[in-house]
Amino acid sequence: MRAIFEFSKSGRLRFISHLDLQRFMMRAVRRTDLPVSYSQGFNPHPHMSFASALAMGWSSDVELMDIRLTEDVVPEHALQQMQSALPAEMPVHRCRIVSDRFPALMASLVMADYRVELSGTYISKVIDFIPSYLSLDTVMAVRKTKSGEKDVNIRPLTIALSAVDQRQLYMRLMLTPDETLKPDLLMDTIIRQCDAMETEYSIFRTALLGRDAEGNIVPLMELSDE
Amino acid sequence: MTLSDQIDRLMMKVKKPVHYVGGEFGSVMKDPAAVDVRYAFLFPDTYDVGMSHLGMKILYHTINKRDDAWCERVFSPWVDMEQQMRENGIPLFSLESRTPVREFDILGITLQYEMSYSNILSALDLSGMPLRASDRKEGPFVVCGGPCAYNPEPLAPFVDFFVLGDGEVSTHEYIDVYKEWKASGRPREDYLKMISGIQGVYVPSFYDVTYNDDHTIRDVAPKPGTNAPSLVMKALVNDLTAADYPEQLIVPYGEIVHNRIMLEIFRGCTRGCRFCQAGMIYRPVRERSMDKLLELAQRLVDATGYDEISLMSLSSGDYSCLPDLAKEMVRRFYEKRVSISLPSQRIDTFLTETLKETQKVKKTGLTLAPEAGTQRLRDVINKGVTESDLLRSVRDAFEQGWSAVKLYFMLGLPTETDEDALGIVDLAAKVRDVYFSIPKSQRAPGFRITVSASVFVPKPFTPFQWCGQCSHEVIERRQQMIKREISRLKGVDFKYHAMDLSYLEACFALGDRRMADVLERAFRLGCRFDGWNDQFNYNAWMQAFADTGVDPDFYATRNKRRDERLPWDHLDAGVSKDFLLREWDKAQRAELTHDCRKGCVGCGLKRYEGACR
Repeated sequence: MRAIFEFSKSGRLRFISHLDLQRFMMRAVRRTDLPVSYSQGFNPHPHMSFASALAMGWSSDVELMDIRLTEDVVPEHALQQMQSALPAEMPVHRCRIVSDRFPALMASLVMADYRVELSGTYISKVIDFIPSYLSLDTVMAVRKTKSGEKDVNIRPLTIALSAVDQRQLYMRLMLTPDETLKPDLLMDTIIRQCDAMETEYSIFRTALLGRDAEGNIVPLMELSDE
Repeated sequence: MTLSDQIDRLMMKVKKPVHYVGGEFGSVMKDPAAVDVRYAFLFPDTYDVGMSHLGMKILYHTINKRDDAWCERVFSPWVDMEQQMRENGIPLFSLESRTPVREFDILGITLQYEMSYSNILSALDLSGMPLRASDRKEGPFVVCGGPCAYNPEPLAPFVDFFVLGDGEVSTHEYIDVYKEWKASGRPREDYLKMISGIQGVYVPSFYDVTYNDDHTIRDVAPKPGTNAPSLVMKALVNDLTAADYPEQLIVPYGEIVHNRIMLEIFRGCTRGCRFCQAGMIYRPVRERSMDKLLELAQRLVDATGYDEISLMSLSSGDYSCLPDLAKEMVRRFYEKRVSISLPSQRIDTFLTETLKETQKVKKTGLTLAPEAGTQRLRDVINKGVTESDLLRSVRDAFEQGWSAVKLYFMLGLPTETDEDALGIVDLAAKVRDVYFSIPKSQRAPGFRITVSASVFVPKPFTPFQWCGQCSHEVIERRQQMIKREISRLKGVDFKYHAMDLSYLEACFALGDRRMADVLERAFRLGCRFDGWNDQFNYNAWMQAFADTGVDPDFYATRNKRRDERLPWDHLDAGVSKDFLLREWDKAQRAELTHDCRKGCVGCGLKRYEGACR
């Protein structure tokens, strides 16, 4: 059995690093009465994983944490336990109990949705640039990886990009081990190309998406368990 | 833009945003409109250091238990954050509600070590508060407590009042009076008059200090009309089992120095090591009952999710039912994989049983503190430990699977000679021999001894308060001597402290009010985080002494006459001056004083009602 929790990391807590969050959550599950499965060995730790690391400074209401359990529990109880083990500023929204056959969150992840809030004098330049961006086949950008810098064509990794209003963008970007476009790289590229240099932006992750049996894109939390 | 938004904007520009975020599990949020007293508790060092401090946890808990008060935490921003805050006009703020410190009613500061004093001035300045209490016409009252409050004089001009001794009760007393004062609408100074009768409270502005021609102190006397006591007695909590102790702890996001449950099993120490200020000022020994400790442990494990409990005290091996306690803890928490650790393990207690118990869950490091290298010098400092005690302890440990030992020593103890210093090397060599005398099949691999030698700093309210600190030349020569000799021992490392820092520490530990000018000058010259090697600027400090015309040797290295009026003689830490003088005399003769559990040694605590059974 596994419990998948959907929680927020926002407000001031968006400055907690992913590594710190992992350690914090390990202690948090120990504050619950959930039958958590522990690793063997000298320093046992709970079997838990996250769908995707959220970069420091980004906000999200859709973060997913997956915890392996040794016996069945009802989702309402698991939800209540986790809520009481986390600070009020880190609310837990949902819990789903799935079988061990349910695909690993990280492996199921295909893309993610983001909302980006803009501020600055020239944000209209950014909004106006979107149609030009979408009309291109190739937009090269430098992606920084652990092994160094890499030139990538980010246009095909941009599944959707549109203006929600005069200061907000919506974007759907690829998020797989091989093909990933992070919203800050897209934003920096656009800002540079349309010369809106002092534009600032805040990033909100709004969905973590996978592909169901029919090939449709659906939130990870709604993938079928069979 | 709100202050909170402004703070958020700095987070991506500093190295450790997690230190300024707040909002941790277990932190207390209240409605500011619903409380009468807002209390900012400043630990004048970084978040990860301050969050590891037990005293803060206790006071945070006990103040927040009140419905009428809200205690919030404040830490010193690291230099990168301080620079960002100054550039962006952001004042020092509390972590919980991100309220500027200057808007609080009371600013409580803990004095854990002298080398945090420059951070205190920095914090006041960053709060937008005048540094000197006499210049503050509004804003929070500044109160300091903690071990260094026993010589508060170097900080006297900056602080409204000090509290000596245990904080569990005295904190409530001055908060209660604050409410009364606030409601009365009386002038600011009246609050200080109203609290000056509370046991442990010392209001420095109520005392006149006069000096002799040789710069020593002639007298410190209460000003007429203040009603301040001529001798300030420390606050004392007699029953620790009944005293408040946290049942919930703040669980930080990032890693901190001691990220675990701390359980204070007793306060005070009966050993009477003559160099040890803690052993004197925290007297008498007060134990928490085993039942209470087990109850607290259970609550804290459930509430925090920590997997380690540290049994805290000055000498945990002295807890009267330690084997029972350790055994019961290991039994209760085995299932939850919670390990039990015992820091500051003394070497003369019978370790074996307890060690067996604690390592059942997880092995912890072994640290022993012989303090001095020869028996003569250990007798001078009344460290009632013999070489055979030490070697028996390490044999036990090695036979049970330990292979790494840390040995702590001090250099520059009173009467120390080169021979005593070299005794440290001898002792390390003997410990090494013990390890290799155990058959290879029966000992754990990974042998390592770390010999660590700090520089002795004479402290107030110890028998060595009359003793000057050893000079730079002598200390540095002995450090090099040991280093040279120890390098011949394979598997033995030698670590030693820089003399400069210990010298400055001595100036503040033994200083009087004239040190305040030096401190302020050093702060203006940019001194911060002096306890951090990469920040400590000795030259700036020497500049500050020169600029203010204060001679550091007068405080640090000068031997004091027995009849000299010391800067803290108007304060009472529990032990009497007679006792300290007797101990100072015995030290010169390398004569031991027995542990007071074997019979009263007349240290003076009996003057406190209910303190000693």
